[in-house]
Amino acid sequence: MKVLLLEDDLELGNGVRIALSDQGMEVVWVRRLSDAASSLDANTFDMVLLDLGLPDGDGLELLGRLRRHRKNLPVLILSARDRLQDRLRGLDGGADDYLVKPFALAELLSRVRALARRSYGFEEDQLTLRGLALDEATRSVTVNGREVELSRCEFDLLALLLKRMGRVVTRRALEQQVLPGGPTNESNALDVHMSNLRRKIGKGYVRTVRGIGYVIDGRQREESADSTLDGAP
Amino acid sequence: MNVMNARIAGIGRLAMMAAKAAARRLGRLWSLVAFPSLARRLVVAQMAVLVLLWTLLFAWVLYESSMRNELIESGSIHNAFIEVTESLRDQPARQHAALLAMDRAVRSEQSDRAERRAQGRATAQDKEDEDAEAALSPSLLVWQGETLIYRSSEEVPLLRNSAPGVLEKLTGPDGRRWLVKTSRSRHSDVRVTMMAPGLWQMVLTIHDHGYYLLPLLVSLPFLVLPAWLTVRVALRPWREVSDEVASRGWNDLAPLRFQSRHQELKPLAQAIDTLLQRVRESADRERSLIADAAHELRTPLAAIRVNVEALKDQATDPRERALMGSLLRSNERAARLVSQLLQLMRSDAEKSQDAYAVLDLEELIQDRLALLETLADLRGVTLELVSPGPQPVFAERESLVSMVDNLVDNAIKYSPAGGEVVVRLSSRAGRATLYVDDQGPGIPEPLHARVFDRFFRSPDQAQSGSGLGLAIVKSVVERHHGQVRLTTPGAGPGLRVVVQLPLYGQGLTRGGSGTAADGTPPPPAPAAAPASAGSPPPRRSAPPAPHSAASPDPSATPPR
Repeated sequence: MKVLLLEDDLELGNGVRIALSDQGMEVVWVRRLSDAASSLDANTFDMVLLDLGLPDGDGLELLGRLRRHRKNLPVLILSARDRLQDRLRGLDGGADDYLVKPFALAELLSRVRALARRSYGFEEDQLTLRGLALDEATRSVTVNGREVELSRCEFDLLALLLKRMGRVVTRRALEQQVLPGGPTNESNALDVHMSNLRRKIGKGYVRTVRGIGYVIDGRQREESADSTLDGAP
Repeated sequence: MNVMNARIAGIGRLAMMAAKAAARRLGRLWSLVAFPSLARRLVVAQMAVLVLLWTLLFAWVLYESSMRNELIESGSIHNAFIEVTESLRDQPARQHAALLAMDRAVRSEQSDRAERRAQGRATAQDKEDEDAEAALSPSLLVWQGETLIYRSSEEVPLLRNSAPGVLEKLTGPDGRRWLVKTSRSRHSDVRVTMMAPGLWQMVLTIHDHGYYLLPLLVSLPFLVLPAWLTVRVALRPWREVSDEVASRGWNDLAPLRFQSRHQELKPLAQAIDTLLQRVRESADRERSLIADAAHELRTPLAAIRVNVEALKDQATDPRERALMGSLLRSNERAARLVSQLLQLMRSDAEKSQDAYAVLDLEELIQDRLALLETLADLRGVTLELVSPGPQPVFAERESLVSMVDNLVDNAIKYSPAGGEVVVRLSSRAGRATLYVDDQGPGIPEPLHARVFDRFFRSPDQAQSGSGLGLAIVKSVVERHHGQVRLTTPGAGPGLRVVVQLPLYGQGLTRGGSGTAADGTPPPPAPAAAPASAGSPPPRRSAPPAPHSAASPDPSATPPR
């Protein structure tokens, strides 16, 4: 995979270049907007990592030019600007992701991989985790190879949680995206669906964060904290 | 002897005490007088002008009457006296009576007093007035040859002019000065001399009788009150300026709302505005300097982190990896400090009206807690939210986000592994109250006020931290007209942070802190807001219990 890295800071640029190269990516590192433009003309890249505050202009200019010509080249912005409006401007300007400096290397790599997957048109219809398999195309779920019958709501809940594995999905978000009537439903409708889902797929997958939301942890937890919470009405 | 001495000593002591009390009272009075006042200056100036005008008028009248006296100089009056004297030469009694009547007519004596005197009922006051008038009015001497046949009063000296028909200033035997004119009859030896007191004489008489001072003493007190009132009314714009300046919040540096049209106040108001602007600019400069510096620090911090992480991935020696781990932790701390500095500068900076919106505090907290759960989970801390439902507040989203992040981040950081961080929301009397409880070591009571200071850290703090978290919280809360305080959770150790914010559409008129003294935009009227933003629909009708309906946790009951 060929990545264009546009970063004016010497140490940061070098660090990122080495880290990405270690992951087997081919990195072209430039430090100016003008160099980036010429190098974009000369090469075909699979991805652009873009810094915003550059000595000869704003990275958003390049982003605008890119979006006019090459619509589907994935762009990840790396910026020290962390305000909401900055992020929105970047994402609305056509960036696929926005990472605020300083960032953890692991996070950069995971986002780069996610972007690459998306841009190759690789659709993950099949989501799997510890014996749990969910196929979005056929809307079927198996636990350890055994088919599980889920209602529409339960399936959507599970799919959403699996896609955002490792991150807590808030009750509000679940209610809005999964419940047929939206969040104006009765307060415990979500809990009822969730308890049904748990009964069907078994313990150890969905963890409750009380009052906040639900999460499917990516790694196996030592003690299944959610087991005590399974008895929701 | 001893008794006497004791008594004297006692009296002395009493006198001393009385003198001291009097001195104290005098001192208080003096401080009242000595404390300068513009209104008093104006009143005193007005009164001084009044006294001056009165004095000048008096002086002018006196001078005029001493230099020229129409009565004395009038030839017809002289001739009338001569005529009467001559024609009644044979009847001395009638002659005297006629002269007396004419003399009185000339002096324009008050008739009632004359009547009283005629009836022998002259009062002491009459006598005094008479003397004064005699001293001021023209007096008459009528001679027939060398015989004096009429004299206005006994006090009139027998002065003679050097020649008839000439107005002269003469000095009497007692040293008094008189203006004198004599006329001689053309047919006989009758001479009529009319005389008026000189200037100094008049001054003395007027002074003796209080004609000058008395009107002033009587009228000034009556004039001072209206003068003082009018001055106060006229100085009202002045008070408006000073009231507005005085009512400013500490961080309200906006130009004065009061626009003076008065020549005297305009420069003052402009000077205040200019000063405010300069202070504002310098505060802005300082703020943007810190913000820029913090911002610029992010890139090198990112570089350190990326390079160390890349290095750590390659390192195999566990000691090296441990060292790199502590490098990374320091880097994380610095990054956190930088981002907190930025948050603080932003929450201090003035926010424009459009940055504020009606937000659901519950939703915002739920979103932030969902993100922070990763950190809590990493530290083995359980996070929980207890909320009765949506809580609309009129707020600036980014500020509230940094407030919640700092509160919960602190709570997670100071909680022991396996501990619980419980966030509760409740609303009462138009205020949303947010409780963040942790099971950490807590903060000793005496430090509660100080931990909100920037960079203040509890001396026996084991955790690393910048000391900025609570300062950010306080700054945000104050911007939103709320309050924040620290206490301990109901049972056991730990810290409870209580934040109160006015609910949208309520409490803004009730809460004492709702005054928009620091320049944040006031929330729009609830009626103007979209329907969805108004009071929350009672969608959580069933048990008012929190979302975790199954939870038997007694702490789920709304806190005090």
